[in-house]
Amino acid sequence: MRTSLSSGLAATSLAFLVVGLALRSWQIVLLSLPPVIFLALGSLFPPPTPHVLAVRSLSRDRVQAGWDVDVELVVHNDGPGLDLVEIVDVVPRELVVVKGTNHAVVSLEKGGEIPLSYTVRSAVKGDFHIGPVRARSLDPLALGAEDAVVRVDSRLVVAPAMEDLRRVHLQPRRTRPWFGQVPSRRIGVGTDFWGIREYVPGDDVRRINWKASARFEHLFSNEYEGERSGDVVIVVDARRESFIGTEEDNPIEHGVRAALAIAEHVLASKNRVGLIVQREVLDWVPPAFGRKQLYRILDHLTHVRPGGEWPFAHVAWVLSRFFPRDCLVVLISPLQDRAALSGIIALAARGTDFAIVSPSPLAIEWRLAEKGPEHAVAYRILQMERSNMIAQLSRIAQVVDWDPTTPLALALRRMGTRPRPA
Amino acid sequence: MIPGLLRAAPIAAVGVLAIWTAADLFAMSDGRSASLLFELLVAGAIVLVLAGVLRRMWLRPIGLTMVVAAYMIAHAIFLGVQVLPALAFLVILIGHVELRILAERFARLYEVALTSQERSRIRRALGRAALRLSIASVLAVVVPVIAANLAVAGVVTVTTIPSAVLLASALIFVIVMLAILPSLRQRTA
Repeated sequence: MRTSLSSGLAATSLAFLVVGLALRSWQIVLLSLPPVIFLALGSLFPPPTPHVLAVRSLSRDRVQAGWDVDVELVVHNDGPGLDLVEIVDVVPRELVVVKGTNHAVVSLEKGGEIPLSYTVRSAVKGDFHIGPVRARSLDPLALGAEDAVVRVDSRLVVAPAMEDLRRVHLQPRRTRPWFGQVPSRRIGVGTDFWGIREYVPGDDVRRINWKASARFEHLFSNEYEGERSGDVVIVVDARRESFIGTEEDNPIEHGVRAALAIAEHVLASKNRVGLIVQREVLDWVPPAFGRKQLYRILDHLTHVRPGGEWPFAHVAWVLSRFFPRDCLVVLISPLQDRAALSGIIALAARGTDFAIVSPSPLAIEWRLAEKGPEHAVAYRILQMERSNMIAQLSRIAQVVDWDPTTPLALALRRMGTRPRPA
Repeated sequence: MIPGLLRAAPIAAVGVLAIWTAADLFAMSDGRSASLLFELLVAGAIVLVLAGVLRRMWLRPIGLTMVVAAYMIAHAIFLGVQVLPALAFLVILIGHVELRILAERFARLYEVALTSQERSRIRRALGRAALRLSIASVLAVVVPVIAANLAVAGVVTVTTIPSAVLLASALIFVIVMLAILPSLRQRTA
């Protein structure tokens, strides 16, 4: 492959030649020689095509966002000696090299090896592939180059950061017939006192209410409120219109982090959790219990990328078709789509419980925007509009307007009160 | 120190070219033409500085062309072409471009923490490139001078038009061969 410098030198040489002949000046004709000498030297020692092998190892292949991963790459020259070779280990743009280098320009003798070690960090979640390794044998006079690509891919899965929601009270209101930790408003196995009834043979002695039995001269047993489990479906709005801000600071990235934290919290409370993601495709995970389900949800959330324009009506259809009717729907959305509000209201009217966590796009934009007086006025107007919309939604759902700079747990603690009936 | 030197070398080379051109322009007897060419030189220098400050790489060849054009016009029309200085000027010009490419390749490698082994490998590669550039620069001056001496001494007569045309044809053939050599090599490989 010739470079632009080689073409430039050839053109300069020809220009001197033509001008020299036109002006009949042998001195100018002579000036056409230096570029030709450079070209000749470049052609006498052309860069050989690199034949290199590469082996890469990662300290970890699954990490949390913000964690460091050490990468070791060893490039072995299996071909002729390379006077000047540029080696680049191609790293996705989301990964930042924080230590060492993934790039080298060295000379590599036949059979020689060059180790490259560097540390990468990703501030965003994702499923990344490091590689391939590109080697470019360069002419020291920059007149030509030969490329080789070594297909060595290493997968690095970066999961969203997990938030601690231990003290948050987020649970389904309606329960299923399985033991759990949600008060079911039915008599059953639990710890909260419900009432007393006459003793029947077979009742546990420990449940006898001795005070009532002494007063009425009959045996009475305590009854407790059964603690059952319920279903929660998390809906993540990752549509293109929800992407506001930067790669690291946008409602989708924060929403995914919130979804994972909520899923972990709800699953830890022995409830079933399902997931629906509105992105380029509408994908979902049916509700299930346990650690495996958390990993399933984590896997889906890791692959969330902004895209698609699915209307909320499709989500409503999936909810009604594939998910239990009496589940709590946790919608995580910046609420940019006004048309979705009517869908939410319609679903709530049919009895679906809603909790809405809305990473505030206004807060993100305000952080990134210029802060002139006119911007402050615009911000206040938009803030009022958003507050009105949230007040409207608060009639049918528990709504949290979340500034992503604050911890999610803090925002979710405001979610205790039940909405008034619509 | 190496990255600093690498970054400074092309700037120094273009500085030498500009000062050299300015000195030649001051030696011109035709004041009006000299001032016009001086304006062209200053404009070229400004464009070069702007290219560096604003990081607009496409401006750089324009500035360089303006500086070189001021020198070439001054010598081709007013001052006459002296072979040795002209060759030196041309080699410094080519050297400037080569040094800039070297600086772009190597200087940023030193910006990260490197082990002594990596550093020595990079230094070795840089040394080879610098050696090749030095050899090419010396040859680019020496070979034309020898050719000129031979021509003037009459060993090879190039003072007639047919021999000049013959020489030109040979040069064109060499350039064309050099230009298409990589494609021919790829086809045969």
